[in-house]
Amino acid sequence: MKSSKNVWAWFACALVAGLVFGSCKKQRLMNEPGNLVPKTVDKDPTLPSISVNGALLHAEAYGPADSTLVVALHGGPGGDYRYLLNCKDLADAGYRVVFYDQRGSGLSQRFPKAHYASKPVDLMYDDLSGVIAHYRTSPTQKVVLLGHSWGAILATGYAGRYPTNVQGLVLCEPGGLKWADIVDYVGRSRAFKYFGEFLNNATYSDQFLTVKGEDEHETLDYKMLLLTGRNEITDGDSEPIDFWRDGAVISDALYSYGEASKIDFSEGIGNFPKPVLFFNSAINKAYPDSWMQKIGSVYPQVQLRTIAGVGHDGIVADENAWKNLTRPQIINYLKAL
Amino acid sequence: MKQYLKQGWILGILLLPCVASSQNINWENPATEKHQVYIGAGADYGVVYQLGYACKISKSKRFPALLHVEYSFPSGNKLFDDYKVKLGGQVRLLKLGHFQFTAKVDGVFRRFENDFARLINFGSDVSGVIGYYRPKWFMAAETGFDKAIVTNFKHSAMYRKQYPGAQGGWYEPATGGNFYYGLQGGVSFGRHDFSLRIGRVLVQDFKSKPLLPYYGALSYLIRF
Repeated sequence: MKSSKNVWAWFACALVAGLVFGSCKKQRLMNEPGNLVPKTVDKDPTLPSISVNGALLHAEAYGPADSTLVVALHGGPGGDYRYLLNCKDLADAGYRVVFYDQRGSGLSQRFPKAHYASKPVDLMYDDLSGVIAHYRTSPTQKVVLLGHSWGAILATGYAGRYPTNVQGLVLCEPGGLKWADIVDYVGRSRAFKYFGEFLNNATYSDQFLTVKGEDEHETLDYKMLLLTGRNEITDGDSEPIDFWRDGAVISDALYSYGEASKIDFSEGIGNFPKPVLFFNSAINKAYPDSWMQKIGSVYPQVQLRTIAGVGHDGIVADENAWKNLTRPQIINYLKAL
Repeated sequence: MKQYLKQGWILGILLLPCVASSQNINWENPATEKHQVYIGAGADYGVVYQLGYACKISKSKRFPALLHVEYSFPSGNKLFDDYKVKLGGQVRLLKLGHFQFTAKVDGVFRRFENDFARLINFGSDVSGVIGYYRPKWFMAAETGFDKAIVTNFKHSAMYRKQYPGAQGGWYEPATGGNFYYGLQGGVSFGRHDFSLRIGRVLVQDFKSKPLLPYYGALSYLIRF
């Protein structure tokens, strides 16, 4: 009886001490911009941005303004372009390279969930049209989309809908184009172990951090960060890629829309008249050559290439692979357009 | 589709078959032993294992009460980076025939760590249980609220490399809160009890749900 009281008393003291200590410090709020995740462009005017289609997007461009426009599309959905910045050196080869964080992603402006209620993919297409229009200096300037992962899916969907708006596609491991293929790929690329660290890291934080509204972006984006983990299936033992900030609401909106609509991003791509350069990676176990051939079969003219020694992200994010394998093939492709 | 895990729904589907854990008491059991030790395994924001000890502090026939302490941790490669310690008490407040109502209050200390951050939290867990109790078995319904009152953030070098401006320290007001409701039942054999607890978790906004929106546990308890 006495020992039970002692234990209880110690715990009560620790609890009170924790609360008192906490209250003595300056109060920090999870939703205060900049506390847990970086500020977005609408909160930090020092970041490079463009205003497109009613949204302020984090964006920048390199290289001669009048040369072929290479628009880099990041993965996710809900990722950002930081890990694609190796592509910046295409500017040294004379191309105009454009990077932007998609709406609701990275350091671009956030919107409430209701904003994406109808057709969020159409918003993505309209934003891409707006970005191209912003950086294009003449109607004859060629436009090439360089998409990685979800960015490659977005690029294909856009080229299928507007085949004359772009003159080339460079695609890195789009998981799938038809919804069933996307679900299949995602399932194979994340074979969770019930008793694994990765799964429990993903679920355990839910008792620490919750939101009171669906639009608490700072908290939601930070929680998404806590879900991050190494994926041995897609990337072997490589380190996580560089990033700025996840976009939880847009990610959820696009997945929910895809699930509800069973969207097919290959619609119309059969009419795309230009050659497509398509990469997979040697290490990604969920993306064997057979899957590349299946996904790549929808393009009328496609060049299938495998990047050795890297996984899904490494095709672009790994500096050596980029300089020695990916970049030279992209430059040859661009020259041939 | 980077190497991030982005979809709660995928996890939800994968984890549906899982069954968390907490001490379930058969208040009608006539056992006179003062001490109880229990172990359990199940789902409680992950696949978890649990060890607990309880001590009767009131032999009052009207208001029997226990103090308990419980340690639980999720499975994974690093067994001690994430854990939860609960310390509290429970008391039977009402008995009408075989129907009984009990209340439980816990102070909670928990820790979470991954490649980017270490979180420690002081919280509370308040619940009520109403059920039908017989000497050899019981069935009951429960509901409660688990609140993460104050949380300390410490960011790793890996995250500070990505975002040098990340602010560590204590975050207030409450950083989290989840409601839960479910059923519990058990059978008693002499000094031994086996119990099952299963239920659902709702985020405090009543709209969203955690990645693992269910809890459940199989527990074994021995009295001495």
